[in-house]
Amino acid sequence: MSKELALELSGIAKSFTGVKVLHEVDMQVKQGEIHGLVGENGAGKSTMMNIIGGVIDKEAGTMKVNGQPYEPKSPLSAADAGIAFVHQELNLFTNLTVAENMFIELFPKKMKAAIDYKQITKSAQDCIDEYELPVNPKDKVEALPAGVRQMVEISKGLMKNAKIMIFDEPTTSLSYREKEKLFKTLADLKKKGITIIYISHILEDVFELCDRITVLRDGNIIGTNKTEEITNNEIIKMMVGREINQVYPEIEKDIRDNVVFDVKHIHYKNKVKDVSLSIKEGEIVGLYGLMGAGRTELVKAVFGAEPMDKGDVYVNGKKIEHVCPEESIKNHVALVTEDRHHEGLLMNKPVKDNLVLVKLVDILKKFGVIDRSKETKFTNEIIKSLRIKVTDPTFQRANGLSGGNQQKVVFGKWVIKQPRVFILDEPTRGVDVGAKFEIYTIIANMAKNGSSVLMVSSEMEELMGTCDRILVMRDGCIVGELQDGDFDQETIAKLAL
Amino acid sequence: MKNKIQKYRNSLANEFTDNPILPIFILAFAAACIFVPNFVSLYNLKNFLLQSSDVLIIACGITFVVLNGGIDFSVTSTLTLGSVVGAYIMAMSPIAVYPYLSIIVANIVMILLGVMIGCINGFAVTKLKMPSFIATLATQLAFSGVAILFASLVTDKPSIAGLPEPFFALGGSGKFFFLPITISVLVWLFSFWLLRYTNFGRRLYAVGINPKTAYISGVPVKKVIFTIMVLSGMYAGIASILATARNQVGVTSLGDKMFISIIACVIVGGTKISGGFGGVKNTLFGVLFITLLNNTMNLLGVEWYVIMIEQGMLILLAAMSGYWLSNRQNKRMLRAAK
Repeated sequence: MSKELALELSGIAKSFTGVKVLHEVDMQVKQGEIHGLVGENGAGKSTMMNIIGGVIDKEAGTMKVNGQPYEPKSPLSAADAGIAFVHQELNLFTNLTVAENMFIELFPKKMKAAIDYKQITKSAQDCIDEYELPVNPKDKVEALPAGVRQMVEISKGLMKNAKIMIFDEPTTSLSYREKEKLFKTLADLKKKGITIIYISHILEDVFELCDRITVLRDGNIIGTNKTEEITNNEIIKMMVGREINQVYPEIEKDIRDNVVFDVKHIHYKNKVKDVSLSIKEGEIVGLYGLMGAGRTELVKAVFGAEPMDKGDVYVNGKKIEHVCPEESIKNHVALVTEDRHHEGLLMNKPVKDNLVLVKLVDILKKFGVIDRSKETKFTNEIIKSLRIKVTDPTFQRANGLSGGNQQKVVFGKWVIKQPRVFILDEPTRGVDVGAKFEIYTIIANMAKNGSSVLMVSSEMEELMGTCDRILVMRDGCIVGELQDGDFDQETIAKLAL
Repeated sequence: MKNKIQKYRNSLANEFTDNPILPIFILAFAAACIFVPNFVSLYNLKNFLLQSSDVLIIACGITFVVLNGGIDFSVTSTLTLGSVVGAYIMAMSPIAVYPYLSIIVANIVMILLGVMIGCINGFAVTKLKMPSFIATLATQLAFSGVAILFASLVTDKPSIAGLPEPFFALGGSGKFFFLPITISVLVWLFSFWLLRYTNFGRRLYAVGINPKTAYISGVPVKKVIFTIMVLSGMYAGIASILATARNQVGVTSLGDKMFISIIACVIVGGTKISGGFGGVKNTLFGVLFITLLNNTMNLLGVEWYVIMIEQGMLILLAAMSGYWLSNRQNKRMLRAAK
């Protein structure tokens, strides 16, 4: 490994609408290393990377790439300097094919205007072969699962002959197997001398991969350390500014014997095959599975968000006829969806409107008129009890909140209904460590008050920390069940694979 | 005392940011009073309000649809069809000899025609899953054709005249000028109440912003959309009564060119065409502003094609300033949040 610096930042500062998000930040990335960047949501990681990538302008400071002064004016000039960016949100055009996406910035042209499709299909195929992607260059991206899309995006970055690659949360939508493959790819890239900046919430990944780790908190660099010289707890302490001894809340609760939620023989589009499960009062059941195992499809079908092909749902022994969200809600079932931007929240509407949306039907006076005093009362109560950070719920919109607080609003709108069955799909995705703990507390308290919880997650550790029982899904079927006490990462992983 | 003034000032400032067209309307109205001859006359002010009344009713219906993320082109055909069918019942049908009975029957039929077209739109959008843009464009064409066909079957003349005298009260003739104004104010109040205070109104906004979130939150999305299409049709039916009574004849050209005017009212008022933001208060000021412009232009003897140009420019301006305002609002909210 050469001692030269691939990227050097000094005194980088940036404010948004008068608020400083980066305070004169200095950072050095050595050539050929994998450099981890961690920090809570809102710490300034994305801002910093967007400045490097030329997406936004810095206010002060200088940058150097391989010792040369570097002043990106746009993402294109960043690409010219050999910097590639793999974004947190997938930036592919779903209506185009894989090959078209790979060449979207620079199509090889024939006769100056027409796109040379033969050429791009061939180059894309070469690239696909090299990284063993399970795709055809002519496939439309919309038909691909999220994990494969990510791999396409990564190979798109690689094709641009990048010297420095920035990965922003690359594993959030990847399955275990795909993640392993990504890590192998990253290691290969490192061998080829490519410098990698790796941003992630998942500390174990960062420890596994990175040579050095930089911690960012509230727009300041707290420290850069070699991976061998620092522990997981020290990093967490640096990130949150306090020590977290306990990641999962200890809340005493009883599981009663009566079955509250009973699901029988669910079929959904070949993705869910004859699944049955039952949950007792006060029980938290985890549902683990790899990407594409059918977890999200199962919970959506059970709630009625997607119409199931076959199957019955019973709540407290009563069968729900015509399963659809409206009926499920009437029968006290709640669903916190995976995708809070598109399915969980009305992003442009005030927090209050979001919180009472489901509750509205219960607080009506004559002629469907909303009881405004009750509305305010319920909103204020829930904001207080879930500790949602919002100054004026009637005015402040959901998209002005941080990720953790947005997620709490999604929780809030269902908790207000006091559901008997609480279905959660990836409840802590994109949420920082501090807020995660609070969300686990909300879940445990719901169970303590007698709700039955079904929780889908890709984070095995999270399920092991919160659940009483874990079900493992593979290829649309439930293939295993573990009780609290028998939880074991290896067993679960083996079942899921 | 000072506090009270401050409070008034704040609420006025809020009113102005929510309804950017309001201060412009006030300025334009003042200017019209000073500079346009004959504007400040009882006759003209009465005319101004009468002209606004049926436009306001249709615009309220369109506002619902736009808030919900759709569009309803078919209102103009409802206007026309209602006009010829209603006029036929009152002037030429077997019951035309009983003026009061025929007026009642005609009014009911006109409203029901609106409801029926609304139902067809609603069915096409919710059951056949057509975009409202296509569905209502189709019904607009079809029912405009039906109106002309109907008129050609019952009469050779371009219009159906000879309506009973008492019917004209609904158009504000003579001392009854308050009647159509009252009806439109009542319809507006009902719409305002529906949007602001009821569960239905809240659901309408939710569907307009994000139908998927709304559906998962237990909102019967299809039912909401269907109801809105029916409401919009019904409002057009009511407006067709007022417009026919004011014109005193049933004509097939009643709805011509009117649609753009109505859309101009809704957009200039500040309701966003992408759905979810705005309301009938915005539409009220939009209607008053556009009618004011049309009225003064008429008084000044400006040609109709100039009015068309002006309305086109206004829609463009409104869309641009709406974008600018919401940007500014976002920035201010961010600052307030910090």
